[in-house]
Amino acid sequence: MLAGLALAPLLARAQSGGMTALAERPPAPPLALPDLDDQQVDLAAFRGRVVLVNFWATWCPPCRKEFPSLGRLQKLFEPGQLAVLAVNVGEDADTVFAFTGATNFPVLLDRRADALRRWPVKGLPTTYGVDKAGRLALRAVGGREFDDPAVVAQLKELI
Amino acid sequence: MPSTIPCLLLSFALMSTSAVAEVALTATPLSREQVTAFYLARGFPAAAIAAYAENCVLSFDFKNGGATKLHTNLDEWTAGDGVRIRPLAAWETVWEQQQLPQAARIAFRWAQFPPQQEFAPGDWIMGMAATDRPLAGPFRVAARYTDDHGSHELLTAPIACID
Repeated sequence: MLAGLALAPLLARAQSGGMTALAERPPAPPLALPDLDDQQVDLAAFRGRVVLVNFWATWCPPCRKEFPSLGRLQKLFEPGQLAVLAVNVGEDADTVFAFTGATNFPVLLDRRADALRRWPVKGLPTTYGVDKAGRLALRAVGGREFDDPAVVAQLKELI
Repeated sequence: MPSTIPCLLLSFALMSTSAVAEVALTATPLSREQVTAFYLARGFPAAAIAAYAENCVLSFDFKNGGATKLHTNLDEWTAGDGVRIRPLAAWETVWEQQQLPQAARIAFRWAQFPPQQEFAPGDWIMGMAATDRPLAGPFRVAARYTDDHGSHELLTAPIACID
C-alpha cells in the first residue's frame, strides 16, 4: 500500500481547512454509476439538494484518512439537504467494501474511470461541492476533514 | 522574476522538505521493493513494473499554504544534474503496448503526481513520479511553480535513491 511507503509522517499534517469557492459555476458533468449493491445512482436525481462528490481510491493515503469525515459530515445534515457521493476509481466492489464497510452515504464504483475522465480531476482525492442547481460550486484538491467547521459553513451557504 | 530558494539542510536525507512563502514540497525516495510491492498489489506483472522501479521513484507531496493559487508542471521539475521526470504519457504508452490490465493502468495513472495541477490556497496533493534514468549519489529536486507573481523554484535538500 502507498500508505506503507514511508508516507505516514506526511499525513500527520492536519487535513483541515475549507474548500475553494469556484467563481464560475459550470454544470457538473454527468455522473451515473452503480453503488456497492449494484444499484444505479445518478447525480441528476439529486437536483435540489447540495451534493458532495468525492473521488477516491483505497490505496490513496489522504483518501483513506478523509473518508470517515464524509460520514460525519452526512450526519450533520438532513438527507434532503445534503448528499454525499463517494466515487471509487478503478477498484472492484470487494476491495472497496473491505475498506468502507457499511456507510451512511452511497459509495459508487467507477471501474473504468470513465466518469472521472469527464470531471475536472487531475489527482486523488479531489472533491466537489455541487449546488442545488447542479453546478460545481466548491472544490478541494487533496485531503480534508469534511466535518471541519469551515467546510460545513461553506456547504450550509449552498443550501 | 524566477527565484531559487535553497533548503538549508546540507546533509542528504531519506526525505527532504523545502518550503518558501508557505508553499512546501516533500520529496521521498521509494525503494524498488516498496514500489514493486505497491504495483504488484494493483495488478502489475513484476516484469512490467521493473522498468519503472529501476529508475529513481519519488513520492512528492506538494502543498499550497499561501494565499494565491499556483500551478505546477512536472515537465519543469528536475532531479540532480538536469534529469527530467519521465512523463506519465510515456509510461501509459508502454503499459498500453504491453496490454496491461485496465485496473492496473488506472491505479498507476492516479497514483502518479499530476503532470499539471492548479493548487488553490489550502490545496495539496501527493503522488509518485520516476526520474528519466537512475541517479547515483545524493541529488536535489528543483521544482518550479508559477503564481501571479511569476515563476519560482523550490530546491530540496540532497536526497538519495534507495536500492
